[in-house]
Order: sequence, then C-alpha cells, then structure tokens
Amino acid sequence: MKPVQVKLVLLGEAAVGKSSLVLRFVNDEFQENKEPTIGAAFLTQKCRLEDKVIKFEIWDTAGQERFHSLAPMYYRNAQAAVIVYDVTKASSLVKAKSWVKELQRQANPNIVIALTGNKADLVSSGRSKSSSEDEDNQEGEENQDEEDEDHGVTREVPTEEASAYAQEAGLLFYETSAKNGQGVAEVFTEIAKKIPLEHVLSARGRGASSSSRVDLQTGGGLGGQQHKGVCAC
Amino acid sequence: MALHQRPPHHVFILPTPCDQHNPLFDTVQSTENFVLQRTKASKNQFLNSFLGTIQNVFDTKQAPFRILFRRQVHAQALMIAEAESQKNIDQAWTWVQDNFIVGLNVLDDAQEKEEWVLTKIRSLVTRADKGTDDITSDEKVRSASRAFRQTFNVLPSERLVSYYSCSYHGKMMNQGWMYISENYLCFYSFMLGMETKIFLELKDVGDLQKEKSKRGVFADAIRVVMKDSQEYFFSNLFHRDETYDMLVQLTTLSMERLLRNTALEHAPGMSNGDDSDSVKDVFSVDVDSLEGGESPYLPAPTTRPLRLGLEEQKRDSQFQQRFSLPASEHLMEESSAVLVHGEKSEMYHGRLYMSESFLCFICTEAEPCMLALPLYTIRRVERMNSRTAMYALNILTWHQMRVVLRLNGPRTQCEKFCTTLKTNLKLQVRAMRSLKPFLATCFSEALLADRPDVSEKDSGLGWIFEFPGDPKKLKNKSKTKLWLQYFKDNGRNLTMTKVTTFPKLIRVGLPNKLRGEIWEACSGSLYLRSMHPGEYAKLLKDNEGKSSLSLEEIEKDLNRSLPEYEAYQANQGINRLRNVLSAYAWKNPDLGYCQAMNIVTSAILIYQSEEQAFWTLNVLCDRLLPGYYSTSMYGALLDQTILEHLLEKTMPILSKHLKKVDVQLSVACLPWFLSLFINSMPLVYAFRVLDCFFFEGPKVLFQISLAILKVNGDELLATRDDGAFMDVLKKYFGTLDDSAFPDSNNPKARALTKFNELMLVAYKEFESVTPELVAELRRNHQLKVVHNISSFTKRSQLRNIAPGKFSKDEMGVIYDRFYSALFYGRSSQRGNGKQGEARALDATTFASFLGNIARWAQVEDDQMDHDDNNTGPGSPNHRRRGSTSTTSTAREHRRVVGKHFISRLFERFDDNGTGLLSLQEVTNGLGDIIHGDLMTRMQLFFDMHDLNKDGTLSRDEILGMSESLLFIFRFDDGDSYLGAVSNFIRNAFEFAEKVDAVKKAEEDAVTEAKEDSDEDKKEDAAEKESSEKEGGSSAPTDQAASTAAEEPEIQMSLPSFRMVVLADETLERFFDSGFANSFKLLEPMDRQKGLFAREVFDSLLSEGRKLAGSIAGGIQNRGNNHKVNNHKVNQKHLPQASASTTSLSETKAPEADESKSSANADLVESRSAGEGKRASDKEDEEETEEAAEDDGEEDDGEEDDEEEEDGGDDLLDEVEKFLTEFDQKGGGKQDLGLTSATEPESP
Ligand SMILES: Nc1nc2c(ncn2[C@@H]2O[C@H](COP(=O)(O)OP(=O)(O)OP(=O)(O)O)[C@@H](O)[C@H]2O)c(=O)[nH]1
Ligand SMILES: [Mg+2]
Repeated sequence: MKPVQVKLVLLGEAAVGKSSLVLRFVNDEFQENKEPTIGAAFLTQKCRLEDKVIKFEIWDTAGQERFHSLAPMYYRNAQAAVIVYDVTKASSLVKAKSWVKELQRQANPNIVIALTGNKADLVSSGRSKSSSEDEDNQEGEENQDEEDEDHGVTREVPTEEASAYAQEAGLLFYETSAKNGQGVAEVFTEIAKKIPLEHVLSARGRGASSSSRVDLQTGGGLGGQQHKGVCAC
Repeated sequence: MALHQRPPHHVFILPTPCDQHNPLFDTVQSTENFVLQRTKASKNQFLNSFLGTIQNVFDTKQAPFRILFRRQVHAQALMIAEAESQKNIDQAWTWVQDNFIVGLNVLDDAQEKEEWVLTKIRSLVTRADKGTDDITSDEKVRSASRAFRQTFNVLPSERLVSYYSCSYHGKMMNQGWMYISENYLCFYSFMLGMETKIFLELKDVGDLQKEKSKRGVFADAIRVVMKDSQEYFFSNLFHRDETYDMLVQLTTLSMERLLRNTALEHAPGMSNGDDSDSVKDVFSVDVDSLEGGESPYLPAPTTRPLRLGLEEQKRDSQFQQRFSLPASEHLMEESSAVLVHGEKSEMYHGRLYMSESFLCFICTEAEPCMLALPLYTIRRVERMNSRTAMYALNILTWHQMRVVLRLNGPRTQCEKFCTTLKTNLKLQVRAMRSLKPFLATCFSEALLADRPDVSEKDSGLGWIFEFPGDPKKLKNKSKTKLWLQYFKDNGRNLTMTKVTTFPKLIRVGLPNKLRGEIWEACSGSLYLRSMHPGEYAKLLKDNEGKSSLSLEEIEKDLNRSLPEYEAYQANQGINRLRNVLSAYAWKNPDLGYCQAMNIVTSAILIYQSEEQAFWTLNVLCDRLLPGYYSTSMYGALLDQTILEHLLEKTMPILSKHLKKVDVQLSVACLPWFLSLFINSMPLVYAFRVLDCFFFEGPKVLFQISLAILKVNGDELLATRDDGAFMDVLKKYFGTLDDSAFPDSNNPKARALTKFNELMLVAYKEFESVTPELVAELRRNHQLKVVHNISSFTKRSQLRNIAPGKFSKDEMGVIYDRFYSALFYGRSSQRGNGKQGEARALDATTFASFLGNIARWAQVEDDQMDHDDNNTGPGSPNHRRRGSTSTTSTAREHRRVVGKHFISRLFERFDDNGTGLLSLQEVTNGLGDIIHGDLMTRMQLFFDMHDLNKDGTLSRDEILGMSESLLFIFRFDDGDSYLGAVSNFIRNAFEFAEKVDAVKKAEEDAVTEAKEDSDEDKKEDAAEKESSEKEGGSSAPTDQAASTAAEEPEIQMSLPSFRMVVLADETLERFFDSGFANSFKLLEPMDRQKGLFAREVFDSLLSEGRKLAGSIAGGIQNRGNNHKVNNHKVNQKHLPQASASTTSLSETKAPEADESKSSANADLVESRSAGEGKRASDKEDEEETEEAAEDDGEEDDGEEDDEEEEDGGDDLLDEVEKFLTEFDQKGGGKQDLGLTSATEPESP
C-alpha cells in the first residue's frame, strides 16, 4: 500500500512537551532534558490503519510567544494539528485555545485538530488519590510538593473542563504523557482515521470541501472523550 | 593671528559638488584654493523682498553667498559654506583663510589636500558646535520649519530635519519643496494657482528606491512606495543621495519605534510589579537622544538642526561598527597617519581616529592592519622629532609595546589632535586604575607570564568539565603556541593589533583556553567588560529575588540547554547559565529572554566566564544580531529574507526549484541563524563557525548557509517537499566529519573533511558577501519585513477583540488609529513607558486618537503661534497686541473646553478605571456611541456633564454642556448651531427644576415641553423669541431676573434634558445621527491643513471672534465680578450667563457677515457695563444683570457701527483682556464645578 502523506503541525506553549510527544510517537523514547525547539523541527512517522497507511510529516514548532509570527509558515497547508497544553499549567490551556481560534480562521479549512493535555503522568502516576484532592486543595498539595518533588505537581486543568471545550470547538481530545507513553499513539491514530482520504489525495493544497469538519464534530470528539475518561481517572 | 578663533556657526555645510562657473553667481574673492561668490540677484534688494507667497520666501534655492573649494582633481568645485548675509560669509571667509591656507601650502598632493579640507569641514559641520546654537545663523532652517508647520498640520513637537527643492510627478510635474521631518515626508508646491500637497508618514513607508529620471538619464530621483503600494516619484533632487540616506535613516528609526510599539509582548524582562522608574531609557537610538536632554517641547529655534545630529549619529555608528567599539564612543578627531609597529618596524599607511576612550587606526592599503587601542592602556605618549611628518607620537602601552604614529596634515590640525588626546587621556585615570585587576582575568596574561591559569571564577566551564572535541585532533597545543608568538609580536587582549596573520589564525580554529578571550577581542565585548567593571555583579545583586516573565521563561529552559554537555547536568553549569541570562534580561527588559539565547549562551559559557559571556551576549544582541531575539524577532526574519535574496542571486536554479516545489528556505535556515549553528552542526564545528563569526560578523552566517546549500545542491534539487529538504540537510550535518574526497589518491585531499570543504566554499565562492553588502540588503529589505510583522500582529490582535457591531474594515481602522496614536504619542514623551502602556492609550494619546477619527476632537495646540512669536528671544511680544493673541486666547479657551470634554469621554471609556484604555475598551466605547441610539447618546452626554453624579444637571453643569456642544459644533457650516446652543441654554434654564420649587417647575417643564414638541419645528424659533419678549413677567424670566439676587440653584433631570434636546431640530439631529456620524472610520480624515497659510490665519481669526462673541456674552459679567471681587473666584457670576446668552441669540440674527462685528459689539457692551460698575457685590450684580438685559434688548446695528469706528485696536485690546480673564476663570470654574456645584447658593 502506498502511504498517504499527511502534514501535521504541533502547536502549544513553550515546554508543554510537544517535542517529547513527537519523540515518543516517532522513536518511542523520552528524554528528560529536551532542548527547546528553535523555529521548528521536522520528523516523519508512518501510521498503519486497516485500510490505509499514513505517513505523517510532523512539524514540531517552537512554543515561546515571540516565535508566534513564524507559525503560519509551518501550519500552512497542514491537514492536521495537535495542540498541546500542560495539565499542570492553566495558562497553557488559554494559549491552546487561542491556537485553536487562529487555526480555525487562518489554516486549511479541513484541518483536523486534536487537543492534547500532556504530562498526565505528573498528576496520576501512583497518586490518583491525591490528584483527585488537589483540585480544591491547593495548599495541601504544596506541602506534598516538598516531600515528593518528582510528582508533587498540582493538576491545574480539570479533564472535564478541557474535554467540554474540545467538544464544543469540535476537536479531538486526549490526555497524554510523553513520559510513560499514555495516549500518545492514540492521538495520532485517531487523527489518521479522521483524515478524509479524498482530500489528502487531492494533495497538499487547500482546495477541499468542508465535509470533514462535520465528520469530526460527530464522531471524533466524543470518541476521544470517552477514551480519555477511562485512563485519566 | 586668530588661529584658534571659533569658526562661524551654521555657515559651513557638508561639502557638496557644484559648478564653479554658475551664471547666477559673481565671484567676489578668490584664492588659489577657495572662491567666494554671491548671487547676482542678491544685490537687487527689490527682487529680494518681492518674493510672493509665504512659500516663496523660503524658495531661495540657493543662499546668496557661498564659498567654494576648488578641487585640483576634479573639474567640479565643492561648496563648503553658504550664508544669507555678507557678514556671515565674510567671517567664514576669514576663518577659511586663517585656518586652511597655511596647511594647504604644506601639502603637495592634490588628493591629500582635498581629503584634508573635506575632513575638516565635515567634522566642523557635524560636531564642532554641539549645544551652542547661534540662533540667528540658523535662519534658513527655522523659516523652512515655519513654512512646514503652516502648511502641514503637525504637532508642535515635530521637528523638521531637512528640506529640498524637487519635483513631484503626479498627473503633471510639480516643482516644489520636499520637507523631511522626524515622522513625515511632505511635499508642497504652489504653481499656476494649483496647490499640490503630499503628506506621508515615514512609519508607513514600505520601500525607498533610487531612480533615474528623464528616461533614465539623470540619477536624481527617489521613488517612495508606501505599505499600501501607493507610489510617489520625486525628481530634480540636487542632493539625491543625501536625501535618500536621510530617508533611510529616518524610516529606520521610525521602524524601530513601530516595532517596539506594536510588539505582542511588552518588556517581558521587566520586573513583575515594578513601575516605570526602573526602566532605563531604552530609546537610545531615538532621534531625540541627539540633543542633550532638552525638552522635546522646546520649539526648534533653540536647538541645533536635527540633520546635523543625524549626520553625526550615522558617522559614529559606522565608526563603532568598524572597530567593534561600545556605543558610547563618538568620533572626535580624524587624521591621515602612518603606523610604525612591531619588531621590524613595519609601516602602515592609513587613517587614525580618536573617540573619548579609543585611538583607532586602520590601514588603507592592501596590507590589513587594524588597531583599536583603549586610551586607558596607554602608559606614556611622547612627541618625537621626525623628518617625514610634523608630528609623531611614540606610544608606550601597558604591555610595554611601542607604537609610533606619524600624523599627516598641517600643524594646526595635528596640534588639535594632540590637545584632544591629552584631554581624553586625563579622563582615563579611573579606567587605568581598574586595568590591573582586569588583566588578571585574561588567559593571555597567564599564558605569557607562564602562570598556570586564571582563577576558576574567570574561566569557562571547559576548564572544569573539559572542552568538546579531542584536543589532539584539534591540534590544541600547536595552535596555542602560534598565538603565544602572535601576542609577543602584536600585543594581546586590549592592546592587540590585528595584522595579516590574525584572520588566518582565526580560520584554522582557536585553541580551547584562548577561545573565549579572542572572541571577546574580536567582538569588542572585551572593551565593554573592561570599561564596566562590576556592572554584571551589580545587576544580579540589585535584582536578586525579583521575578519577571522572562525569568520564568529562562527557568523553563535551563535544563534544556546543551544537555549533552556534562556541566549542564550539574548545578554549576545551570547556575552560571541562569545568572547570565537573567542579568541580560534585567539589563534589557524590552528584549528579555528569547529561546535560542539559552543555547548560544550555554555554548559560550564553555569557553568564557559568566562575566565574559554576559558582555558577549550584549554584543550579540545589540550589534551582531540586531533584532534577532527581540519580541518580534524582526532581525532574524529580515536576515532570512536576505538569505533568500542571496540564494536567488547566486544559485538561481536551486532558488527556482524551491519556489516551484513550495519549500520555504527559512524553514531550514532560521534555526541556523538563531542558534548560530550550535544545535545543527556537531559542537566542534559550530565553534569553528563561531570563531569566524565573532571576527567577521554576520556575513559569515550567510556565507556558510549559502555554502551548505551549494554543497548539497544536487540532492536538494531532487527534493519535492520541505520534509525531504530538511532530511538532506540533517543528514549532511551528520557527515561533516567525513572526508570530502574519500576516493582521492592524494592523502592530503583525503584528509580534507566535509567541514573543511564547507569553509573553503563559503569563503571562496561567496566572497562577494561582504559586511557592506549585508548592511545594504538589510537597509533595503527592512521596511517590508517590519510591515509584514505589523500586519501579522494586527491580525492576531484583532482576532482577540470582540468587535461589537463594527465591521472587519472598521476594526482595522480603529486598530490603525489606536496604534498610530501610541506611536506618535510615545515619540513626544519617550522614556516614561509603564508596563502595559505600550498597548493602551492614556488620556493624551486618547485625545490624539480621537482627533484622528473625529474632526471636532482635533484640539489644536497653540504652540504653533508660540513658536513663531518667540523667534527672537526676549523680543517684546506683548507690545504688539495683535489679532494673533486674541485668536490664540479664544483658541486656548476652546482647547480647555475640548480637553475637558475629551477627558470625560476618556473616563467613560475607561471601564475599569485604570487610567489606560485598551483596544477593547476603545472599541466598546466607540461602539456604544456609534451603534447606540438617540436615547443612549443623550444619556451619555447627560452623564458626562453631571460632574457630581447626582443625577441632575446644575446650572454650572448645563453651561458646561453648552460649551461642550459649542466645541463639537465649531467646524459646522453656517451659524445655525449657535442658535441651537443658545436655545439649549435658555430652554434648559426654563425647564430645569428650581431647587426651592422643584415640584412646580417639574410640572411646568413637562407641560411646556409637551407643547413645545407638538409644535411645528419651523415655528419654534420665532415662538421662542416672542415668548421671551413677553416673558418679562413669566416664571422663567423671573427666575433669570431673580437669580442675580437670590441665585436659587436649578436642577435638570434626564427627562427634561431629553425634552430640551428634542425641542430643537439641530440638537435632535445631532443626537440622533450627527454625533455618531462625526466619527469617520472608513473615510480618510483630512490631516492636512486644507487652507493656505494666510487663509488659515484669517479663518482662525474670524472663528476666534465668533467664538469670542458666543462666550463673551456668558462671561462679561464674570469678568466684572472678577474685578470687583478682587480676583476671588466666585460662583455668583454664573447665573448671569442665562441672560447674556440670550443676547447671543439676538446678535446672531443678522446676516452671517455681520456676526463678527456684532459679536464684538457684544463685548464692547459688556466692557462699558463693567467699567461703569465699581460698587458693592450686590449692586454690581443687579446692575450687570441690567446691562446684560440691555444686551439682549437694545443691541442693534447702529451701536455696532459706532463701536467699530471707535477704534479697532482698543477693541481688540479689550477683547483680549476679557478673554484672558475668562480663561483664568474658565479654568477655575471647571474645578469649582466638581467641588462645590452641589452646594446651593446662599440666598
Ligand atoms: N513528566 C513529564 N514531563 C514531560 C512530559 N513531556 C515533556 N516533559 C518535560 O517537559 C519539558 C519540555 O518538553 P519539550 O518536549 O521540550 O517541550 P516543547 O513543548 O517541545 O517545548 P518548546 O520546544 O520550548 O516549545 C522537558 O523537560 C520534558 O522532559 C510528560 O509527559 N511528562
Ligand atoms: Mg519543542
């Protein structure tokens, strides 16, 4: 089967783990100290589905605000986007939302967008009890921080809030961890499924109909949500 | 002989080629080298004075007197001085004789003579007279400046830079004047009764091109392309290149401001919760910084011409760039010289420069030799006797190095050079003292002294954690030896002379332990570090414990910087990196921290100590990579554009291919530039590139990048998309270690790595990429890049604004005007940028914003007149009480009213009371007005004038409202609005509720108002007039009459206000649509003065009179009270306004032409009334009340005429007096309204 090329772009605030996600997906590895991305990095990875093989051309962009003006260079003609935020940092979701807005106005109209809350391991790994507490108990959590500096991070973005937003905006939604691999493959596979093939074949241009957006809103968003519901709690 | 006499000011000009035998000029005097000429016309006094329009007064294309320098190498002479008067030119002539002739006789070579004269004149023009402006000699610029202001509506603080005669090619050719000011490029011509005016904002200029006119024959034209693609073509420019350079320089300055202004983030490095004071002046490149700290509002005459400042700035920055000097150095002396240096006493011919702390020499012959010697390293200077030159200086440096400098040139010049040197040396004592500890931190010293090493604090991380690469393979030892020898021969660190071998030693790669220091010496950061001892430590200490956005960003990246290097897995490395990055963010909060800086800094820190790295980072961000790491990153984007341009020029096939397959070059290359190849190439090679980069500047980055593309050309041509493109390059970087010619029989060739090959290609094939070319390309492309960035910023900001009912286009206009107000606002009050202010309007900028969308909100500044009147300092302006001052007083009043109205509007818009308006708040506020309805707008006005917020309008507040209305209406055609406003006041007082009889008045008001509104509007006016006449006994007039005695306060509620408004057609129309429509979002606003200066003047005068009339009625009695009450501010006078404005409606009844004189009559009346009364308070009030009534009833044409005849000047004097008094009162009144309006007057 000849692979179908799909251009995918990763966007999101600095240090939320975009590059780490890609590295997990492409090489199935994790580096604790990944250098910040300057401009953008480029990687490819194939994704096998029952009926097709998709070759992702992944553009991993820089997260710092001042690199923002470069982003259009990378998301132009993209058929898919993964917008990443950090579940332990509320501000990163705000930034993610503004990316969604920008893509919906400025990018390819058929673009498939997935919202991804990364670093889920920090708030769930072996500490599921406390992670349910910390939503309303900031102080208690801070105390725990000192005891346990590796995992002592507060969840700042409740799963429900993000998933509700994703559904409303018509996005796929996952919580992931680049560190332990949770949800990573699923994000890309789900995107691969949602890519309307006929548009892909009609090439990397923009001339495509608007049917895919509808597709996305009905099936994908919900599916993603249920899936996440299983692994987050 | 007056050898040291100061040269006359402002007579000398930058030497300009011109024809010596000009038929318009007669030669008056001449010597072997100089000619003094005067125009033929200048004898003709009559012709001189007979220069028609205001414009033509300045249209003296050439000054009547000039001095030319006769060149021996060229047929064309050089004009070196011009003057308006015989006296000035004679002075200059004498000075020239005294100062040049002897020197010229010494020199034989024609070329040398010319050079010497030029240098001397240039430095005279651009430097000699800093701060000591002779006001009168500046005449031409000043008069041009006046013409410029009269023609174009610019802020008083706007300064004219230069003006040129030229033609504009519109529908036809127009000969006229081009004016260049700080912010604008303007053109004006008046020909055959046709006026042509062009007004361009420099910040909107998208491109500037030198062109040829007349079918490409004359290189005398410039094409200006605006960002909206509008083009303007100017030709016949005598000084085309000068004009062009000036425009480039000014557009660059405004571009830099534009960037600061529209950046998405503002000063991210500023401490959280800090206020404005801690921000140091970051506007260091601003035009204003050129005039030593004078107030920007100071009118032009007392400051020296801006052009000279700009000229100087350009020269200085070229000088700094050439020798990698700190920005604090200014070129002070310049001379041709011979440098004798080294063991073998080699001689280099070249030029010698001196600045505050440096003596710099550069060889002008083929042999490269360059020296920038800090004065604080000089131990001794001796003058030697020399046969070949008048002066020879024997300089002994700290390092016991001997340098001999022979100055070429005449005695006087050499003496001056030496005097300056002496003075400058004396100022170096402090710096000399800190030299010893400084040198202890230099590894070169340790090396030469055979000391083992420098201390750990002064060394890089490599000393502890090893250096990248195999030192054997890098030939570290033998390289160190070579440098040791070089130091012995040519000096080291601060005193190092860069001779032929220097670049060679650089290109083979630097030895590990010397690398950091030589980077410093090449980039010039060595000078910064030595001149600012302790500053780095202080920055860290002063900001300890503070937080900022940049600090957070830095923290995120500390663990992510060069993780493969061991030191960055440990605290030691991380801490150093944190310190350096934060210190820089504190030093430059506008830039703060940009990702990639961590990578560059962490790499540098392997070879340099913290302090070294900090200063190197400074040089990187400020000079080597300008704008790369700024919040907009425009520098990086600009260089990408340039790279694309160079690719197109050097490898057209590849360039075409990339375009065809839609691959963007910067996708691959941007990271190379931003992180200086550090995370693209293996570290050892990246450092080799850095070696060259620090020595040769950013052109190296282009050369290497182009070479990479060239070496991989074939493979790149085979790629189809950016993925494949990136892959090729990534693979290539992985093989830099491999042999470039693995199959060669020649072992030497086999030993060449791909990196060697890359360097060869870079330097050989892209030799043409010089620093000059890069600088020129940057100049040519920068405007486009900046406009792209600002349009991107615009889009992304507008995305986050709720537009209300505004269309996309309208939002675009609001955005543009908003930022335009900020742009110009900031230019006039720089330095006090609070955090967040970059993106919000304060009261002042809001006013100018409003003035840009609504004509009525244009509150002209009076400083224009000021400017003109003050031309002669101490000239007794007050003697001439002409119409000018009357006009400006009236305008002053109107300005006060207008400003109050606008500032109340500002408060309304400012939802959250921060004193700053965001774009969203402005959008909402405007939306409320424009998309509201009749009712909401009336409510808005009501609320705005209800100063004490008691839900009703008091007498004062009603008057305030009427003044606001008059203010807004002042540009309306005809006089109908005067009637409307006076109706408004009368009706308001009629229908308002008296405090003591609120109920009754309310009822009355309701019934009457009902009647009123039922009536046919056309009859309305007449009806009112009659009702007023018969109203002698009716309640409202009763009230008016009684107010003088009792002054019961009145209150007008919102419903009555509405009725009053609806009762008048004009007012109803105003609130229904007029006010909303007064905001012009989509139509262009006419920012230019539409009238010729004279007419402007006349119309202002008549307008002023009109206004004087309209308000004088209201103030006459205040004026009297004012006198009687011994300048006590008293509210009692206010009630009379009702009566007196009645008179206004009467007087305006005659035809439009007469309105002027009747208004005056009004005032005269009040004067006589005022003079008559000098009695007690009460009496006075009663009587003035009578007088006011007189105004209303007895005023007629006859009296007008009488008074007119009586005497114009007297009359004007009186008007002025009244208005002045009123102004004082007027100002006070507003305050009173705020504080005591609620208190009812004592009965
Ligand atoms: N615990 C945890 N840490 C993560 C995870 N993903 C990334 N990180 C860490 O977060 C930091 C930033 O990761 P990057 O992948 O470089 O982030 P980025 O979004 O690419 O950052 P920029 O390139 O600067 O925009 C690194 O130190 C990672 O080790 C995760 O799932 N769990
Ligand atoms: Mg990244």
